[in-house]
Amino acid sequence: MANFAGRPSAWYRSGGLSAVVFVLPLLLVFLYFSWGPIVRGLVLSFQKNNLVTTPEWVGMANFSYVLTDPQLPQAAMNTLYFALLALIFGFPVPLFLAVFISELRSTGWLYNVFSYLPAVVPPVAAILLWKFFYDPSSAGVFNTILGWIGIDPLPWLNSSTLAMPAIVLEATWAGAGATSIIYLAALTGVRTELYEAAELDGAGIWSRVWHVTLPQIRGIILIMMLLQLIGTFQVFTEPFLFTGGGPDNATTTILLLIYRYAFINGDFGAATALSVLLAIVLCVLSVVYHLLTRRWSTT
Amino acid sequence: MTRSSARSFAAFTTTAALLTLTACADDSGPAAGGSIDQNAPVTITIGDRPTPDKPADVAAFDRNVKAFMEKHQNITVKSTETKWDAQTFQAQVAGGSLPTVMNISFTEPQNMIPNKQLPDITEELKLVDLTKDLNPETLKIVQDGEGRIYGVPIDVFSVGLAYNRALFTQAGLDPDKPPTTWDEVRAYAKQIKEKTGKAGYAQLTKDNTGGWMLTTMTYSMGGTVQSTDGKKSTFNDAPTKKALQLLKDMRWTDDTMGTNFLYNQEEIRQDFAAGKIGMVLQAPDAYDMTVKNFGMKPTDYGHGALPQDGGPHGTLSGGSIKMINPKATKNEIVAALKWIKSQEFDKYTSEALAVENAKNSIADKGFVGRPGISPLSQETYDQYNKWREPYANVPVKQFQGYIDSTKSLKLLPEPSNKAQEVYALLDPVVQQVLTKQDADIDKLLTDAATKIDARLGR
Repeated sequence: MANFAGRPSAWYRSGGLSAVVFVLPLLLVFLYFSWGPIVRGLVLSFQKNNLVTTPEWVGMANFSYVLTDPQLPQAAMNTLYFALLALIFGFPVPLFLAVFISELRSTGWLYNVFSYLPAVVPPVAAILLWKFFYDPSSAGVFNTILGWIGIDPLPWLNSSTLAMPAIVLEATWAGAGATSIIYLAALTGVRTELYEAAELDGAGIWSRVWHVTLPQIRGIILIMMLLQLIGTFQVFTEPFLFTGGGPDNATTTILLLIYRYAFINGDFGAATALSVLLAIVLCVLSVVYHLLTRRWSTT
Repeated sequence: MTRSSARSFAAFTTTAALLTLTACADDSGPAAGGSIDQNAPVTITIGDRPTPDKPADVAAFDRNVKAFMEKHQNITVKSTETKWDAQTFQAQVAGGSLPTVMNISFTEPQNMIPNKQLPDITEELKLVDLTKDLNPETLKIVQDGEGRIYGVPIDVFSVGLAYNRALFTQAGLDPDKPPTTWDEVRAYAKQIKEKTGKAGYAQLTKDNTGGWMLTTMTYSMGGTVQSTDGKKSTFNDAPTKKALQLLKDMRWTDDTMGTNFLYNQEEIRQDFAAGKIGMVLQAPDAYDMTVKNFGMKPTDYGHGALPQDGGPHGTLSGGSIKMINPKATKNEIVAALKWIKSQEFDKYTSEALAVENAKNSIADKGFVGRPGISPLSQETYDQYNKWREPYANVPVKQFQGYIDSTKSLKLLPEPSNKAQEVYALLDPVVQQVLTKQDADIDKLLTDAATKIDARLGR
């Protein structure tokens, strides 16, 4: 390609200006809608602002307010707890599903459809359905099933110890299909010769999965784990619709707290301050994660 | 789990977009500008338009709009389905997306007035001749220290006890004699549980309603929740403790409260209508939803007074206010008030209109005659009810306990400062008492008081 540096007329003649004109609206739209809110949020976090009266600059007051809110430690612990549960239970499920489906030759598509189906159910509908499953009376769907094997009805969402695992269960069900599709796509990239070679060496199915499949898709696994971590730190829909953060704040997450600041208290300063803090934590988490996993990453 | 992150992302983007949009909006406070010209063409937007799943209500609403516009040629009325919800209202205010007129709860004005989120409409009210009709006690809800008025109270309710008459009969209780003390409630709940296996009594606990109903119970035990100036919480004392202890006993000692302890208004009404609950604290408007939306038999619905302990101490009252957008011009305010007067007040003073409204309600499968409390003087209200009596399709006799209580029980207003925040912080207290057998009531209330005092002082 020719070097136009220092020759503006040549740059102009070759269509350089029209390229700029072409890209400019896109760039502006991107800046305004993608970065505008972030900058605006940052500004808000330093203001006392109900978005009606004139905003007042308050410095770090919002940050000290949210950091000293007695509800914050519990919300943070709940969020970590959700992330941990989701990692232990939610993370292996889609991976297992994907490997399982990829091993099936003729009926794979059917299992694929079944596993992906929950992903197309709108979250609100899914949660309503699961609320029905979690009905704490002995007539509830899950409690009826437990009754068959002689277990007393469980209070599910009505118990501060069971509520969070119950939410994670639904979230896993809802999210597994979509994630396993991504794993499946990654699995198609694994060269079949590797399996054939492994088979020739006498490797069984488990050994093939362990020595061929997983190492081949570890790049995707690492990325999905990071995405999941970021996602679970921002969990909102499930606790909001299932329990409203209860019972006794057992499912109040950071995002629910942010929501309450903003939309119940009308305190947008506090809400954005906590959002900014959460964003910082997630940035740090991503960097640390990247550094820790660099050694294993395929890229 | 990617879907979860996608959803959170979507939620964040929406919030961010909202914030960006408001960034473009005018940041200045309310300033009703210009002089008043009652004949100038003006357009106002009305909230609370019924949703399309209620075609009869939509038809009635449209009919009213048309009639109003024919009478007031210079006023154009547009409508939206925007309606008040504690969970989203502040976002609507902040988003600047409010219609010119909409209904809001009694809990809002005392925070919105100092925040300049409501316009001063004192002069305009005189202009449309509305002030003199209003009940001065109710009017206090929308006034500041100097007596300036910032909204129009239209609907007043007080909390009572909704009960299922069929379950009462099955349990061998007299459906015409609902309990009037908390001791009776406890005994009746036991009997209902024993004879029918259903929950004798259930409690609202979620989406701020837990705190709301704990406040109601506190009032009924002779307590308060907030100091008169709204600067400090006052619930950390005997009455609230007694209320929580009662719930704890009914839940853990008697086991008469069923199995679900995460209820919001709609969910509890659904289970009540389905006959799973014997008694529940509700305002009488619960009748509309339980019968119309959830198919409860009108003959099964009963409504008694708010049970008292000692006393009588009183009952929590609340209601709806017509708020006007703080960005409305003076002409829009006047037009909005004319609309409010024609829709909410003319019926009280015109027999023809009262009767016509009743007939329309019946034709639209609505309700006529459900008891309530007057936003005007009691005489006006009694007269109005008399006009409508022949058309009543609500079993008024089944509300007798409640009706009597509206004359005997004092109406106590909701907390004046940050009521919804206080309610939100009290939700987990009630939830813990109902879900943890070893819940320490004293500690719960002390902790809640610390949290709430920090908020009240902010």
